[in-house]
Amino acid sequence: MNLIPLLPDTDPTAAFAYVNEQEIDRATFRAQVLTLAAALPARERVLNMCADRYWFAVTLFAAIARKMVTVLPNSAAPEHIAAVAAEQPGLLVLGDQAECPVADLPYMQINTLPPRMELAQAELPLIPFDQRVACLYTSGSTGTPMPHFKTFGRLRLAILAGAERVWGAAGQACSVVGTVPIRHMYGLESSVLLPIMAGGRMSGRIPFFPADIASALERMPAPRLLVITPFHLRKLLDADIRLPEIAVILSATAPLSAELAAQTRQQLGCPVLEIYGSTETGQVATRETDVETTWQTLQGIALEMRDDELWAVGEVYETPQMLNDTVELFSPQRFRLVDRKANMINVAGKRSSLSFLNNTLTSLPGVVDGMFCVPERGSGEEVERLAVFVVAPTLDRAAILAGLRQHLDSVFLPRHVVFVDSLPRDGNGKILARTVQALIASHLSGRD
Amino acid sequence: MEQQHSADTGPDLALESEIAALIVSALNLDITPADIAPEAPLYGDELGIDSIDILEIALVMSKQYGVQMKADNEDNSTIFASLRKLAAYIREHRSK
Repeated sequence: MNLIPLLPDTDPTAAFAYVNEQEIDRATFRAQVLTLAAALPARERVLNMCADRYWFAVTLFAAIARKMVTVLPNSAAPEHIAAVAAEQPGLLVLGDQAECPVADLPYMQINTLPPRMELAQAELPLIPFDQRVACLYTSGSTGTPMPHFKTFGRLRLAILAGAERVWGAAGQACSVVGTVPIRHMYGLESSVLLPIMAGGRMSGRIPFFPADIASALERMPAPRLLVITPFHLRKLLDADIRLPEIAVILSATAPLSAELAAQTRQQLGCPVLEIYGSTETGQVATRETDVETTWQTLQGIALEMRDDELWAVGEVYETPQMLNDTVELFSPQRFRLVDRKANMINVAGKRSSLSFLNNTLTSLPGVVDGMFCVPERGSGEEVERLAVFVVAPTLDRAAILAGLRQHLDSVFLPRHVVFVDSLPRDGNGKILARTVQALIASHLSGRD
Repeated sequence: MEQQHSADTGPDLALESEIAALIVSALNLDITPADIAPEAPLYGDELGIDSIDILEIALVMSKQYGVQMKADNEDNSTIFASLRKLAAYIREHRSK
């Protein structure tokens, strides 16, 4: 069996993480991971709810050392967590908060454990290539959270392939600051695993406002990598705030425009590397969006057409992964993206499907009928905001929003709630596209 | 010297209504500025404001008042707990 040491063989004195203005070296990180691993009670799976990226990383690797699967829900919505917990019984919640962030589950606070430094010299556990280490969730097109398991060896292969691309663009390994959620595939790969497995440095912070991003970057030595989404990047540029030198920016979760990539290069003096991928596949390909239209797959990943379907293959996958987008394939490694899958909608980088959203809306008590739609954007609005048409004689706007909030990530909450007497459905129960357009035209146009 | 402004002076109602108007226009909300109750949570069910909106509002606040919002690891709900909290924060930190 192929065995891999839990952590890479790096200089123990090298700076690794920056947490609460403290610099933490590789030896301390290693000791911290092994200290927690020794302290964890025996469990099959844990729910890692740490808010700080460093403690998230310590917890993730401690769980791997103990052969526990880390469950990573894709939303903190109570319904989502409850659905995940129902599917993964016996979950132990690990976190860096004083109070358990999830109701009704056993909890252990992990960041109060001082590292036993003698463990920095201890043998590292050897992890089987095929050991399942993480289970990520997508809301999926059905509305039922869908689990996706990741194995240690394959995650590592993907990270090393990505590092070749990212560190290559920067000239060397970087200090990483990420604004993205650490429980999503993109944030997990690029802001957590990349610095750990490929010799970078990590910021514990997950900055949000432009001034926070600037100070998180300033705290880290150059060269610096910023892991961000197109929406957040746009806001960062708009804020026109002073930023320290950045070597390269990574963007994913929503299409990056060539214009925004070019503006970034001009304003911040660094390239933006866009990542193409998904929760199921992880990172698949990259491009520098302002200078190239074609994507190049990462080392070890190839694309193949089989019976009109597109598949990603390579050692990084347990089984080939079907991709839902339409592409023009120039070679197994180079392609152009033609179209994204229909029915899926993307709000500020988060994906859901219209059928899931509609199903959620019509399942609310008091809702007789309803549908989500995507109105045309008003001028100055860069992000798609949703609207709903709803038949619910006993409810008001606040009740609809409160009901939806239980099930949906808040970005999918409708900006406009339009109450109607009925929705004109055809004989098959469908609402025709032109009916939707007419509803939008009569209720939502000219609001700008 | 830092002063405890909010403790010894009342809320700045004019500033609150100015900020309410900025929020409604920046987010293209379905409501009038007066509909935003000063003490009600901004972030959450009432207005349906989410983290994207918070970033939009932060940008408007920096352009209008020269205030760079900082949250770091704190939940944004501290500054955005209510219109009143936001106005108090702006009053204390504004540079224009």
